[in-house]
Amino acid sequence: MKDLVIGMAGSGGDGIVSAGDAMMTAAALQGWSALLTKSFGPQIRGGESSCRVRLSTEAALSSGGTLDVAVVLNWDDFLKFGSELPVDGRTTVVYDAATGVAPDKLPLPGVVPKEAIAVPIAQMAKATAGTEKAKNSVVLGLLAGWLGMQQEAFLKGIRKRFGKKSAEVVKGNEEAFKAGAQYAAEHPLREPSTLATPASMTEGKLVVDGNDMCAAAALFAGCQFFGGYPITPSSEIMQFFGREVWKYGGTMLQAEDEIAGIGAVVGASFAGKKAMTATSGPGMSLKTEMLGLATIAELPLVCVNVQRGGPSTGLPTKSEQSDLLQACFSAHGDVLRPVLAPISVADTFGITVEAFNVAEQYQTPVILLSDQEIAQRKETVDPIDTRAFQVVERRQPTAAELDKYARYATTDSGVSPISHPGMQGGNYLASGIEHNEKGAPSASGEVHARMNDKRLRKLEPLKKRRDLFLIEGDTKAPLAIVSWGSVAGVAREAAKLARQEGIDVKVLVPKLLYPVAEEIYAEFFRGVASGLVVEQSHQGQLYRVLRMFVDVPRGVVPLAQSGSVPILPAAIVERLRGLVRALQGRLVAEVEPAG
Amino acid sequence: MTSVSVASIEPYQAKDYKSDLKPIWCPGCGDFGVVQAIYRALASVGRPPHEIAFVSGIGCSSRIPGYTTAYGFNSVHGRALPIAQGIKLASPELLVLVAGGDGDGFSIGGGHVAHAVRRNMDLTYIVMDNQIYGLTKGQLSPTSPRGLRTASSSWGSLEDPVNPLLYVLGYGASFVAQGTPADMSGLAAVIEEAIRFPGFAFVNVQSPCITYGQENQQLKAQKGVLQPLASLGHDPADRLKAMALATEYGTKLYTGVFYRNPEPPPTYEAEARLRQEEGRALARPKHEILEMFRAQ
Repeated sequence: MKDLVIGMAGSGGDGIVSAGDAMMTAAALQGWSALLTKSFGPQIRGGESSCRVRLSTEAALSSGGTLDVAVVLNWDDFLKFGSELPVDGRTTVVYDAATGVAPDKLPLPGVVPKEAIAVPIAQMAKATAGTEKAKNSVVLGLLAGWLGMQQEAFLKGIRKRFGKKSAEVVKGNEEAFKAGAQYAAEHPLREPSTLATPASMTEGKLVVDGNDMCAAAALFAGCQFFGGYPITPSSEIMQFFGREVWKYGGTMLQAEDEIAGIGAVVGASFAGKKAMTATSGPGMSLKTEMLGLATIAELPLVCVNVQRGGPSTGLPTKSEQSDLLQACFSAHGDVLRPVLAPISVADTFGITVEAFNVAEQYQTPVILLSDQEIAQRKETVDPIDTRAFQVVERRQPTAAELDKYARYATTDSGVSPISHPGMQGGNYLASGIEHNEKGAPSASGEVHARMNDKRLRKLEPLKKRRDLFLIEGDTKAPLAIVSWGSVAGVAREAAKLARQEGIDVKVLVPKLLYPVAEEIYAEFFRGVASGLVVEQSHQGQLYRVLRMFVDVPRGVVPLAQSGSVPILPAAIVERLRGLVRALQGRLVAEVEPAG
Repeated sequence: MTSVSVASIEPYQAKDYKSDLKPIWCPGCGDFGVVQAIYRALASVGRPPHEIAFVSGIGCSSRIPGYTTAYGFNSVHGRALPIAQGIKLASPELLVLVAGGDGDGFSIGGGHVAHAVRRNMDLTYIVMDNQIYGLTKGQLSPTSPRGLRTASSSWGSLEDPVNPLLYVLGYGASFVAQGTPADMSGLAAVIEEAIRFPGFAFVNVQSPCITYGQENQQLKAQKGVLQPLASLGHDPADRLKAMALATEYGTKLYTGVFYRNPEPPPTYEAEARLRQEEGRALARPKHEILEMFRAQ
């Protein structure tokens, strides 16, 4: 097989997630592309936990659809995840015999799995390691055996993970793993799911999630200050800064609230440093006033919103793309704030660097719209040549410009050289009140219009940034998909599947969501008869934004659904088939008018 | 220990800190005196204007940074303290002043004060307390006395006022003082001492509103009742006594230093520097930063 999706579920203490992590490391070392998503019940500790690992010989762009292998340590816990762990006739179900369920009486109504195997997982853990805690090591042994993965990588992982504990614990888990592998060897699957060897072996793969990637990219871009407040699912970004920023001479502040977090970021930027904050939807609402201040004071900053289900507390641990309208339009005043969105963990590196570049170059706050799926899923990432990424610094005044310095001087580009405290001759008043070129408060309508024009004009070049758009497929294809964020990976995979069955479809993935690059969309939609805007929001927020600025062909419709339930490639392909049938029907109708 | 550097070789005068902007305050506003006292204090301290960041929120008094030659930041309502903290952490070598009104500091921005205090960054926070909202034309403020009739309390205020001195002492501040433009040299001296204090320093200034303020709060009335704490023999190292005196806020007008911690805790920025010094050796070259995620 070239592609395999494994889903595992159990109780909080079963070590499901660490088993998933071990699979990732082993996959990376063997050159597979892999993707790990975790899902938990609402409890902070205990309760049900699950993970999905997708292993692939080619780059995996999404966490995939139906499970090829389901590992069930406890049926109650497994069933709680419902459509997050979909099982059908293609699935091999491996479960703990201790659950006492007969293989032909699985609690999966209407589903006859490919194979159902009861393995005495808990019993084997106890026999080898002396504790049921080693169930996850047994599971890893089973999977390594059945899928044909190298065992050494797992054993190394076990030694690393338990190295800090006693030699006895390490040994116990090694034994548990070996027992699992042996069981697999002695009980071959009816239809083996051995994973093919990767086409090419990439050395030095990374295993990382989107939040850590975002924070590391920020440090790479020269971020020297982070201010924020804990909120799921973005807290890992702040935690990363808490561990790392000091090493690079920077500082962080866990503020008393979301407003103070971004307030300190505004201050640090005023003081001349690159600065960032991170939050999720409710925090974005609180930060909105400060974003307005940064816009009018023309201070660069990056504000990350790791989207979750909303409004309000909503679905705090689940992914959704429902903050796009907020990102684009929550500002008071005549404001244009750039909005960027990464499409994968790997892409988060470049997009985060780009967010800083745009912020610094244009002296504006930039919203980086990540989502829980990207932020908290782990991916194997091929080594990134960081030297290939340009880092932009803000334009500081020259000695000549400091003579009678005007902070908001009119320039062709609309960008004025920016000083900072400590720079002699650069003294000015930054303010939230409208101001003239020198920074002096002004209530003049002429000054206000002139400054609005400057602040909006300077961002025009962004709309020409073709490098912030990914286009795939035949440019003349009559069918089109537009998708963004984590869902873009699903859409791209769906398009690939569709092309394999002869459907001519092209894909546009904007990483710059706002300002809307009208010309790029117009060009893309030229000749398009119908298509889909695929996104994880109930309203179809990107579709609505596009309708505001672009002549979207009438046949292009939203494929939008609320968060938590993943959009699957198969569902997109099915909709595309429908569009093709409709198109053919229309062609027939044009040739043979109804009489 | 962070502290304000000693006066530079070139002596500065009060006028060096005065900008060309003409204040828009009402004639007779107490804030004219406050800005003069700040000029004088800054001249005594002697830091060049470009090494000073002066942050405010919104309100009549928050216009004050624009009237100085420092780097000013007239920000949004209630958020001067968080912004000032970001500035201080980004550039600890700067002298950072924060100013605003009682509404800015103890109503909309009230949640920030406790945290600014406990972080103990080397900031000087000056509140121009006039017990009224002047800029919005005369509504109740958090320090308005109970029963006060204002534009928004035609039948009299239903609330007890905030006691800024007692709050800030209660939060654990190491430097708490009060002044009034009715005593200019006392006010300048207390602001200078606050600036020189190595940590978070709070100065409450009874700065009357000539337009909407109460008659008995005006400068002339203050002159008759103010009592310098020094003249009472108050020991500023005595925190409990300071708190006892602070409870008389609203009834007595004490000026000078209520409390000055003889052993102030380390500042946030000093602690940050220690972590930076310790962490430096652990840094990877930036272009190799992703190596930390390498599968092994």
